[in-house]
Amino acid sequence: MPISAQTWLQRLRELPLSSKTRIMNVCGGHERAIGMAGLRSALPASIELIPGPGCPVCICPEEDIYQAIQLALHERVILVAFGDMLRVPVNVPKKEVRSLEQARAAGADVRPIASPREAVKIAREQPEKSVVFFAAGFETTIAPVAGMLAEGLPFNLSVLLAGRLTWPAVAMLLASEAPGFDALIAPGHVATVMGPEEWRFVVERHHLPAAVAGFSPVSLLAATYSVLRQRLEGRVFLDNCYPEVVRPGGNPGARRQLQAVMEIVDANWRGVGIIPQSGFALKAEFAAHDARRLWPDYNDTARKRAGQMPPGCDCARVVLGKIYPNECVLYGYACTPRTPVGPCMVSDEGACRIWWSSGVREAARTQPVVSS
Amino acid sequence: MCLGIAMQVVAVDGYNARCEAKGVQREVSLFLLQEELVQPGDHVLVHVGYAIQKITAQEARSTWEALDELLALEDAQAARA
Ligand code: SF4
Repeated sequence: MPISAQTWLQRLRELPLSSKTRIMNVCGGHERAIGMAGLRSALPASIELIPGPGCPVCICPEEDIYQAIQLALHERVILVAFGDMLRVPVNVPKKEVRSLEQARAAGADVRPIASPREAVKIAREQPEKSVVFFAAGFETTIAPVAGMLAEGLPFNLSVLLAGRLTWPAVAMLLASEAPGFDALIAPGHVATVMGPEEWRFVVERHHLPAAVAGFSPVSLLAATYSVLRQRLEGRVFLDNCYPEVVRPGGNPGARRQLQAVMEIVDANWRGVGIIPQSGFALKAEFAAHDARRLWPDYNDTARKRAGQMPPGCDCARVVLGKIYPNECVLYGYACTPRTPVGPCMVSDEGACRIWWSSGVREAARTQPVVSS
Repeated sequence: MCLGIAMQVVAVDGYNARCEAKGVQREVSLFLLQEELVQPGDHVLVHVGYAIQKITAQEARSTWEALDELLALEDAQAARA
């Protein structure tokens, strides 16, 4: 008989917690489940759940989106991307084309897709056109992209890759002076592909409790309970609270495809900067399908605020778990899902968007305010 | 974006599988599950059109329940908004 959410909450409330514990999650799916289930208000006040770097669209380099927009406008290619990416704004003057959606309105052929397989299909159906697949994502998404490449691409399909690894961002935070969290909930579907072992460094090098969680309130509560108990007992280990899906070693077939197709490189995170060994790049063998090698670089280094978050947008600190979404001064005023200023309000995995759709409608200075 | 969905395999043709969840059928690639034998009736976790893990029927049911729960909560939020 699986333990219910109510029982987990009861157990959590019975823990002899004296000090505040800040638990970071690094997955938009986790944050969504936490927000929708209202877990924050159900937990004892000493437990803080902090959304961390869990949104690949949010940290996708501004230059890459700019490049995709320029390709769509000037090279007359068919530009395909996961739907989330279309509304993310770049930092250009208001009268210029600021997003892929606006590029489409300006006549460019920009199409949202839900799977790499759709990119292949579009390229096969229109051999007279060049198709560029702008692919942003974490390991779970980039493994399918690697699979698509390994299986063999139509000659007219190339990839503009903006793939990132999640753990190096957490490693960077932990190596900094003020990581801002005391325990980690590791992402369930990243671990499904890569294996939970990737997260051992949190326990072994930094002596913080960690637990892999799935996407149900029950799994998240179990992981929360696990890390708190580990902390109380002073015995930390990497727990797996999603064992039905996350196996030791992950998915070896998917990892093999990633290794065959991708290199791991230092990579830029929008508004954050370079994180060592945190990016995927296509290996030289795939140069014929690498949009970065096939097309001219449209990036102009003199462009104002290139690479940064939009003016006034605090997404970078939201992504790093330094502030809660509603601590951004624009939250709920200038920035709502209808008029998003930054990528965290655009993407379904962005913490600002998730908080807004789970009912947080007011800006806060220090404490999150949840409307009922 | 990293959210996978549990589906049941209906038919397999090479690396292509026809899979079903909640009455909806989709073409799914088995390319990332080459080390596993995947047959009709099996369950897989699907992310962006690719099966990323083989799971048991019971695991599939529990992820469906979790998803239902989440969708119901999202509907409730949307209704309140
Ligand atoms: S509320 Fe809007 S402007 Fe502020 S951090 Fe979030 S996305 Fe950026």
